[in-house]
Amino acid sequence: MSRSVWKGPFVDAYVLKKAEAVRESGRNEVIKIWSRRSTILPQFVGLTFGVYNGKKHIPVNVSEEMIGQKFGEYSPTRTYYGHAADKKAKRK
Amino acid sequence: MSDTPTQICVAAIGGSYGVRGEVRLKSFCADPIAIEDYQPLVAENTGESYMITLTGTIKNGFTARLTGVETKEDADALRGVRLMTDQSRLPALPDDEYYYTDLIGLEVLDTGGNRLGTVKDVQNHGATDILEVLTSGSETALLPFTEAAVPTVDIASGRIIADPPDGIFP
Repeated sequence: MSRSVWKGPFVDAYVLKKAEAVRESGRNEVIKIWSRRSTILPQFVGLTFGVYNGKKHIPVNVSEEMIGQKFGEYSPTRTYYGHAADKKAKRK
Repeated sequence: MSDTPTQICVAAIGGSYGVRGEVRLKSFCADPIAIEDYQPLVAENTGESYMITLTGTIKNGFTARLTGVETKEDADALRGVRLMTDQSRLPALPDDEYYYTDLIGLEVLDTGGNRLGTVKDVQNHGATDILEVLTSGSETALLPFTEAAVPTVDIASGRIIADPPDGIFP
């Protein structure tokens, strides 16, 4: 069963607090979080979070299309090193 | 960087398929079927060159016919062989797009010219691309591949200038 709408999206309180502090300070830093279950909110857009995957913090640059997803979706817990072949990286 | 074309691995042969000399081919390309565009493919171990014709799809890859491979025994002998192509055969990319193979091995410097490490791998977990930078020893750091964090990519001179956010490098 999905979460009731009247409750609003779930976010761990410390994530909100850290994000707000970084936004107010204007510092260019990675916000280290362990809360993979927190929902990505519109006020997180443009910030960089380091989302823990059980071993290290994976940097996640939040963009508009990520709103509503959970942080954990962008920080896989298993690493697969495939072949580079013709794969491309785009600088955003 | 040298001007000699770099060979990159684009596929591997899984073994024979059927009894008429076809092989099972595993493509490593972003679009698996694009393997046909990078012909001829060269066997990594023998240096022999092959033209391929994809004949069908199977679990984990394709079935294919290779020039000069006519029997099941020939196909079986190629089991495990990696197929390479010249990097120069890959199509040119627009600005701000780079092949993983171009980025891997580049030296990473900070804006002050201090060496931070070497690019070991490129990852993408759904957000931006991430450069895995090998710092001292076996330690790695993950650097977001964004305009802000990586203002300069100079493939010709083999280096990247990074302006990483605090907390990325120890």
